[in-house]
Amino acid sequence: MTDLATTSQNFCTHCGNALTAESTLRIDAVSPAFCCAGCETVYAILSSRGLGRYYEIKEACELIRKPRPVRVSHESFAYLDDPEFQKLYLMPSLEDGRKTVELYLEGVHCVACLWLVEKLPELVSGVESAQLDIGRSIARLTLTPDAKLAPIAAELDRLGYRPHIIRHDEEAAALLKRENRTWLTRIGVAATCAGNIMLMAVPLYAGADGYAGQLFRWVSLALFVPTLFYSSVPFFRSAWSSLRTRSISIDVPIVLAIVFGGIISAINVVRGSEHIYFDSLSALVFLLLSSRYVLRRIQQSALGSSHLLNFLAPSRARRFDPELRELKEVPVHTLKADDVIEVQTGEIFPADGLVATPGGGFVSNALLTGEAVPTPVREDDLVYSGTENQGEPLQIKITATGLQTRIGEILRQAEEASRTKARIVDVTDRASRWFLAGVVISAILLFVVVYSYTGVDEALNRALALMIVTCPCALALATPLALSISLSRAARAGILIKSANALEKLSTVKTVFLDKTGTLTEGRFDVLDWRDIPELRNPNDRLAAWALERQSRHPIAKALVRHLGSEARKPALCPEISDFQETLGLGVSGTVFGHHYGLKTLPQRDGFSSPLATYIGLYRDGSLIACITLGDRMRSDSVPALNRIRSLGLEPIVLSGDNQTVVNEVASRLAIAKERAFSEFSPEQKREAVAGRKDCLMVGDGANDAVALSAAYVSAAVHGSVELSLRTADIYVASPGVSTLAHLLEMSKETMRTIHRNLIFSLFYNLLGAIGAIFGWMNPLFAAILMPLSALTVFLSSKWGTSALRQVFSELTT
Amino acid sequence: MNIVSALLPIAILLAFGFLGAFVWASRGGQYDDLETPAHKMLLDDVNDHERNSRK
Repeated sequence: MTDLATTSQNFCTHCGNALTAESTLRIDAVSPAFCCAGCETVYAILSSRGLGRYYEIKEACELIRKPRPVRVSHESFAYLDDPEFQKLYLMPSLEDGRKTVELYLEGVHCVACLWLVEKLPELVSGVESAQLDIGRSIARLTLTPDAKLAPIAAELDRLGYRPHIIRHDEEAAALLKRENRTWLTRIGVAATCAGNIMLMAVPLYAGADGYAGQLFRWVSLALFVPTLFYSSVPFFRSAWSSLRTRSISIDVPIVLAIVFGGIISAINVVRGSEHIYFDSLSALVFLLLSSRYVLRRIQQSALGSSHLLNFLAPSRARRFDPELRELKEVPVHTLKADDVIEVQTGEIFPADGLVATPGGGFVSNALLTGEAVPTPVREDDLVYSGTENQGEPLQIKITATGLQTRIGEILRQAEEASRTKARIVDVTDRASRWFLAGVVISAILLFVVVYSYTGVDEALNRALALMIVTCPCALALATPLALSISLSRAARAGILIKSANALEKLSTVKTVFLDKTGTLTEGRFDVLDWRDIPELRNPNDRLAAWALERQSRHPIAKALVRHLGSEARKPALCPEISDFQETLGLGVSGTVFGHHYGLKTLPQRDGFSSPLATYIGLYRDGSLIACITLGDRMRSDSVPALNRIRSLGLEPIVLSGDNQTVVNEVASRLAIAKERAFSEFSPEQKREAVAGRKDCLMVGDGANDAVALSAAYVSAAVHGSVELSLRTADIYVASPGVSTLAHLLEMSKETMRTIHRNLIFSLFYNLLGAIGAIFGWMNPLFAAILMPLSALTVFLSSKWGTSALRQVFSELTT
Repeated sequence: MNIVSALLPIAILLAFGFLGAFVWASRGGQYDDLETPAHKMLLDDVNDHERNSRK
């Protein structure tokens, strides 16, 4: 096997992200550098299994999505093998007992990922084959009859692809597949007919007459029949449904043109007249079908909402079984009130309940309140589903599950709000609606007027020419094209956009509401600063501090261990500790390397203090040797991202559930005025702040801001799980922080500018054509040339319009 | 003119032959996933190479 590739030391060897100041600790000259422990683990797994090719392939390939550091969830996934669970979510077994399962994998970003996922049969037993649809990040696994799903899921998790089981809806999937294939067949028929009709049209325009002329016209008619009765069916359906709701969509004039154009041309063929329009009509059908199919595919590849509904939050719990008197892993939906469950450190509570552990512990309520500092809980205190246990393992007695929990209630409200949200019509429809009605009316008027002057022949010709030439096909092609180019680029940068409407709305946004915790800040405790007193420094101090803090479960201790862990990660180096002591709320102490070390909370000091931080002192034999600052770190990209948002003419406002001093501090660092920073807001207050406001964007995490997200005009979730976020928000940004969102705002404006430019182009063409048709200067040849020409102009305009976008996104993906 | 009457059916037959091939391919699922196979093509070379070197 080839050696593992070593990249530049400024970038993580595994994920390729730039190394931050925090992670530079890990760099030494020889070994490869990593941005986090997760990436390092994956690197170790791959090199030990001889899968180092991954890095070679990765080096050579193009990025599909923005990579990110590996975050291993360390779930055991045992619930996946629960028979009850499998009955609900697994596909039916194949005849010979093999099973297939579809998993959505987080973090798939390039061809090397594809290679690695499809190598899964070599990595874990039980997998017969693995296929990854890289566009949708969905892997389809075939398992042997006796395979266990849990170890397979855990292996994927360890490789950094966190799996989510997709609740499999065989019927919906099959329907989608069938529909796509039917579309393709319709396009194929339309293309064949249109191409051959155009071939016939050439000699006709050149002046073929007599027997040959008649023959060509009859064959054109014959070829137009399948175009009309098979390929155009989607237009008929959509025109009919729009008429039924008493509105006029772009498909109405299209259908009118196709049907009347077809009928008149057919009559002319029978009469032996020259005026036939089969060539333009069939080309119109083909072009429209193709552009819509492209849009459809792109929307599906960006993980359509139909898929998201089938997402299942991976959740299980350890329930205390009173008969067996032991803990048993069960799927979360089987929990009932009064069950006793145990929740480990770092796990999320699966239900609301009362603490049953006598000692109590620490709980992070960040999900509900946005406050990063963990709250202490005592026995019989209520803890909420969705919050995180940050202290010792806790046993809780369940009081409410599922939708009855507080977070369930929030989600239910959010879903109701998103249902009542007004459905905004398509950009194209809205822009072209007024002139669509105009076209139909003026065509009728034109027919009447010309009929009264000359005769039925000329009147029909002119009215039809008007209808064909003004048919907004350039428009119908260009708007979906511009939108789909933007949507697919966004998807590649890790932004999932629910609908093209959201993109349009983004471009009109004037105010941006930002959540603080997890959006502008990292949302967890971290070591911000470590200041040694130089004359007292001893090489073993940090190792001693690490060893001491490792004994504690306190969130501050965990942050310190994370920070120090890189230096002392080899277990052989772990020093002996004697007389270890932990005083709750004060700190830890013990004797290491023959010295008495202690870590204690320092009182806030003037001139040095910041309300954002907690201070810890490291003492050796009673004297202070280091001062450590901990806090919820501001994301490094928040300041530039906010500047970018301001430069777009938008006004940022901070909404937070955290206390006032913290919020004001964050706001002032981001140069946001105090009266634009609102603190101590409950989820409900946040909703009131954004509800009913036009042109505002709400940015938050998918859970505690769910209500506000769904009430907002347009919303983006930058944090939290995919499944939760997309239920309530219009946009999900997979990479945390607001910088990607700033790019997205720019992109939406650019897209809308392109669409408007396209509208002007096609209006100009249509106007020119309409004038020609009204005065009778328009012959079929001219109309046939003008139509593709206008489409081409608008197509090129879409391409030019997006070259600027390409620059923006090349910055993002490289 | 007779040659046109002879060639036209042949041309149309040819066109529908290709249409048939296209429909057959799309029904067979050839166009279901348009993105992954394009990337996979690059990886197949690697696998072949490995297999050969193992022999």
